[in-house]
Amino acid sequence: MSSNHTFIGAVDIGTAKVTVLVGEYTGRELAIIGRGECPSHGVIKGSIADYKAASDCAHSALEQAERDAGERIDCVFLAQSGAHLEGFYNEAAVNVKAADNMIDRNDIRMVCDLAKAKELPAGRMVVHHIRRPFRVDGRLVPGSPENLVGQRLEVGYWTVHGQEQRLADTIHVIRGCNLEVRELVLSSLASGHMVTTPEERQNGVLAIDIGAGTTDFVLYRDGVPHTTGVVPIGGTHLTNDLSIGLRLTVGQAEKLKLRFGRALVKARDKADKVWLDGNYAIGDRQFPRLAIEQITAARSWELLEVVRKKLGHSFSPETCASGVVLTGGTAKLPALAECAAKVFDLPVHLGEAPGWVAENLREPGYHTALGLLYYGISAHVEGATPRRRGGFLRNVTRLFASS
Amino acid sequence: MVPLPQSRSWRDIPQQVKPRALSAEGRRRFTVRGLRLLCGLVTIGAAVWGAWEVRAALERDSKSGEGAALPIGDHVVAVTNGVLDKAWLVRTLGLPRNATLMDIDPARLQALVLASGQVATAAIVRNFPRELAVHMAERSPVARVLVQKGTAAPQTYLVATDGVVFAGSCYDPEMVKTLPWLDGVKLSRQGAGFAPLAGMASVAELLAQAKLEAAPLYQTWRVVSLARLESDGEIEIRTEAGLRVTFGAHDNFFAQLARLDYLLDLAARRDPPVAVRSIDLALGAQVPVTAAAAPAAAAPGARTAPAAPPLAPAFSFHLSREL
Repeated sequence: MSSNHTFIGAVDIGTAKVTVLVGEYTGRELAIIGRGECPSHGVIKGSIADYKAASDCAHSALEQAERDAGERIDCVFLAQSGAHLEGFYNEAAVNVKAADNMIDRNDIRMVCDLAKAKELPAGRMVVHHIRRPFRVDGRLVPGSPENLVGQRLEVGYWTVHGQEQRLADTIHVIRGCNLEVRELVLSSLASGHMVTTPEERQNGVLAIDIGAGTTDFVLYRDGVPHTTGVVPIGGTHLTNDLSIGLRLTVGQAEKLKLRFGRALVKARDKADKVWLDGNYAIGDRQFPRLAIEQITAARSWELLEVVRKKLGHSFSPETCASGVVLTGGTAKLPALAECAAKVFDLPVHLGEAPGWVAENLREPGYHTALGLLYYGISAHVEGATPRRRGGFLRNVTRLFASS
Repeated sequence: MVPLPQSRSWRDIPQQVKPRALSAEGRRRFTVRGLRLLCGLVTIGAAVWGAWEVRAALERDSKSGEGAALPIGDHVVAVTNGVLDKAWLVRTLGLPRNATLMDIDPARLQALVLASGQVATAAIVRNFPRELAVHMAERSPVARVLVQKGTAAPQTYLVATDGVVFAGSCYDPEMVKTLPWLDGVKLSRQGAGFAPLAGMASVAELLAQAKLEAAPLYQTWRVVSLARLESDGEIEIRTEAGLRVTFGAHDNFFAQLARLDYLLDLAARRDPPVAVRSIDLALGAQVPVTAAAAPAAAAPGARTAPAAPPLAPAFSFHLSREL
């Protein structure tokens, strides 16, 4: 194998499962060559709660992915989620220094540095600085403003930050496998990048990734992420509600949710009942379908309402012309799109991976891992570009590794 | 300028991991990486060692090269199958006293050695640091020829089997005296020497046969005349007793020598012995023999020999039956 090839592992440590995809990156092309999955343990609402259990799951998935790929992973792009992640917007403006008012690199650098210069509270760390488009004298500039003429240059950054300990815990899980974490990418950015098209992002689109423990969302405007957020509610909450409301075990509730759960109530007959197992065995019970649908619909509506509230003024149907895209494992809940359409008053559809993605990776559960690879490699976010692999010794080591 | 507040990034989280925090898979990776690193270091070490060795070898070669700068001086070795010696070689090469092996031009030295004519092939070998060896194959002289250049005194030259005429050095004068003289040849200049003589192959064969098969006869041969070699294909030998023997250059020399020996023996066995003036062996089975005139008077007091028929001045034998 050529030494120019880099084998990147995209790791999504979710609440329900750990997903690992191995991508072979040649510098120009990326090919998915391996996949590994493992039921997750020790992760609650996207955060590591049991280091050893989470490590075992992650390492098992990594090993499985490497076996599947037949190559050793060089570095890892890690998805980050959890309620500890927050974001804020900060902007800055500078007067163009040149006498002819032509913007140069120094002006751009200065305004970017100013916009990013925001001191965080103790124990918080930046995960992403997401730049919004420049403005020159109030005029939106989609690309670089260099060599444009104007008097005032403005730019804003959406800064995502998280709790240091939580970030470190996730990184150390990967480091426990003696792998380097090359990029840390917000889950919503990864999945949103995968299920939305550039046109949708340009027109404005809201991507919601509803996982088991958390719901990550990203609102795109003008082709770039405008607002991101994480809601610590996911599919497991629907299961819990069913479990409490119908007095079932979590496993039984999960089974009912998957079989009869709906995001909008459809049943009208209270006498319409469904069997828990359907095999007429001892212990098999009947439950009213209406009750199941009412519980899951109420929780789904609430979940989407929370997302809308978190978006606040950033979201309005007028600035989100392309509607809402749903992804994640819970997005498969029947009628969730209709429910979301009512909540957001926008057209909603379930996110699909691009056509070139292999059939076995088109499930919503892989969108985050796929997006990790493509978003991590692309340079849409400052600092997301993979660092150049260098060092003579490292190359020599790779030589032996490939042999 | 007021420094901007800097916020910490997730990249500031140290990614060093303690061995106890490694999982089994992590430890395996750690071991493999360590082994790779070790292999890499060993490779680099081997490469460095190899480079060092190459450098040392180059230095050694360089030092050897410095040795070549030493003057050759007397370190000239003549390796030959003939008589030439080191003194002749030094004289011929004419190397400057401070000449080194790197200064010499082997092709030029070879040409100098070959120019004498006595050397058929020569190879110049440089044995570092300072020895110059010349391997030579010499020509064997089979005859000699007297050459006079202008008004200078005549000089004796030797002729090899391939017709090359050369001055001849380091030969024992006694050996040179045993060589027959060549007569009836025309020397033509070629460069600083003479062009090779044509037909010497036949002459050399005759002389070699005579020397080998009829040494007593050969020892009496003084002059070999090639005057009629080209025109008639005949080689004429003149002995010290004045006998002229003509050989056919295209006939079997062994048979001719045998006939000559037989005739001379026959003439000697005659009573009284017949003094032969010439024998022509170039005519095949018919051998004309010319006898010398009988002595005018016997010595006083000597017993008169029985009357014998006087020999004719010239007669011939048909030797087909005798031989």
